[in-house]
Amino acid sequence: MTGTVVRASGLTKRYGSFTAVDGVDFALEENRIYGLLGRNGAGKTTIMQLLTGQLFAEAGELEVFGREPAEHADVLRRMCFIAESQRYPESFKASHVFKAAPWFFEHWDAAFAEQLIADFRLPLNRYIKKLSRGQLSAVGVIVGLASRAPLTFFDEPYLGLDAVARHIFYDRLLEDYAEHPRTIVLSTHLIDEVANLLEHVILIDQGRILFDRDADELRGSAMTVAGPRVAVESFVADRPVIGREGLGGLASATIDGRLDQGDRLRAAELGLELAPVSLQQLIIHLTGTDLRADSTEGEVAA
Amino acid sequence: MTAVIDQPIVRTEARSRAHEILRIVRLHCVNPSVFFGIPWIILGGAWAVMMIVGLIITAANGPTEEMAEGMRYSWAVLSPQWYLVVVGVQAIGLTFSFALGFGTTRRDFWLGTSIMFVIVSFLNGVAIATLVQIEKATDGWGIGIAMFDSLWYGQQGWLTDFYSTLALQLLVLFIGASVTTVYLRWRMRGTMTVLFSAVALLLAFIAIATFSGSWPALFEWFGSIGVIGAFTIVLVFAAVCAVGGYLVIRRATPR
Repeated sequence: MTGTVVRASGLTKRYGSFTAVDGVDFALEENRIYGLLGRNGAGKTTIMQLLTGQLFAEAGELEVFGREPAEHADVLRRMCFIAESQRYPESFKASHVFKAAPWFFEHWDAAFAEQLIADFRLPLNRYIKKLSRGQLSAVGVIVGLASRAPLTFFDEPYLGLDAVARHIFYDRLLEDYAEHPRTIVLSTHLIDEVANLLEHVILIDQGRILFDRDADELRGSAMTVAGPRVAVESFVADRPVIGREGLGGLASATIDGRLDQGDRLRAAELGLELAPVSLQQLIIHLTGTDLRADSTEGEVAA
Repeated sequence: MTAVIDQPIVRTEARSRAHEILRIVRLHCVNPSVFFGIPWIILGGAWAVMMIVGLIITAANGPTEEMAEGMRYSWAVLSPQWYLVVVGVQAIGLTFSFALGFGTTRRDFWLGTSIMFVIVSFLNGVAIATLVQIEKATDGWGIGIAMFDSLWYGQQGWLTDFYSTLALQLLVLFIGASVTTVYLRWRMRGTMTVLFSAVALLLAFIAIATFSGSWPALFEWFGSIGVIGAFTIVLVFAAVCAVGGYLVIRRATPR
């Protein structure tokens, strides 16, 4: 049986006149991997800070493990959130973080943490403020994985990580998740890197949710149609178009929605090429500034 | 989805409240140099300087009596306090953000930090008061200097020295910490408001005391309450900062 871990409705956070999170509604189910995707400044970190009780919302309701998170020790102890811009005590070395972690996370696996430290080649005896961006990300990733917190947040875990380290994170997360299922929220703007990890995607832009969909449903939910301009235009005429490109007499259009067998036949008759759209391309189309009006149409259509 | 609302929260109360507060004390001690190492290095450095000055004066056959008297007015014994204000600031400014990320409540963080401050102040009180006695017993570390036996110290016995150090140490730590909670909650505007209000209050007090001509009476009163009375006022200020910090931090947000 799966339960709902997080339930937010009308959640709003303002900074002066700037609305960072604008009345969002969503729910997170137990033991799934969520992607919280969006551009820089979309409100991803703010949402995670609200969920972990670090910020107080101006409006809306929020329940995490059945109650408001802020100042509730029984809720907070089940979460782990190392922010991308996490501050550490001035005198901390990386080793101090891992020394203190077991006091705060009851499911902390020290052996797993040690293995990860070796995998990421993290210099334990170096002051946190002397770590490179990638090493700092590694600290957050190791704490997040080894904490085995029932609700774990990874805030931009890939920031500064090299290709090998990204691969390690990907592998270790999937392995450990299979053995110890828990709810994981990954926030990132490096979408293709994590696309295959995600089971559910919440896309936010300018503090609002653009879509909140199952990742399987999302893969192949959009198609790019390419061919002669006239044929493309006639094919996409009554479909939600989320992106357009053209070069001379050729054009391509990205449509939000699946094509059935009849559509595919018709496309073939018109001499059009169909190509699936990657999650990253889809998100660029939905959050890019070029087709803002269309993107809101796309949301309505979704 | 709606079925979950009826689901009782599985409370994992295996970890007690005491544990949740004491782990904050441990967190502050993860690197013991912050609260213990560096302040004592500073104090040790000041002591070494005083010793060398003392040795120079003695070697030059200087007036030892006057040296000890003059040294009574050196503030060397208070040298770590400036650093400890910063420790109070950083305990909140940086460690607080970190502890929130590790799932602590603001309440437990402040209580744990307060316990840490009390422990540090207690130990420093014991140490300083004892060093005063040692200095007196060894006749100024054998060369007649007065580093610890200075200012108000060394006049009314160990207990008074302990009490005054405890009170002063608590005030120093809690002032840094509580002003930082104001910053975390209301940012620069709030901090400035508090600082300017404090200055305004002080000026108003001076104005009232001056215009009503009550300075002599005030000094007389101050003299009558003695060292213990004066440091009780210090202790009350520390307690006000501790309670105020608790109230403010409950809605503070990390940077």
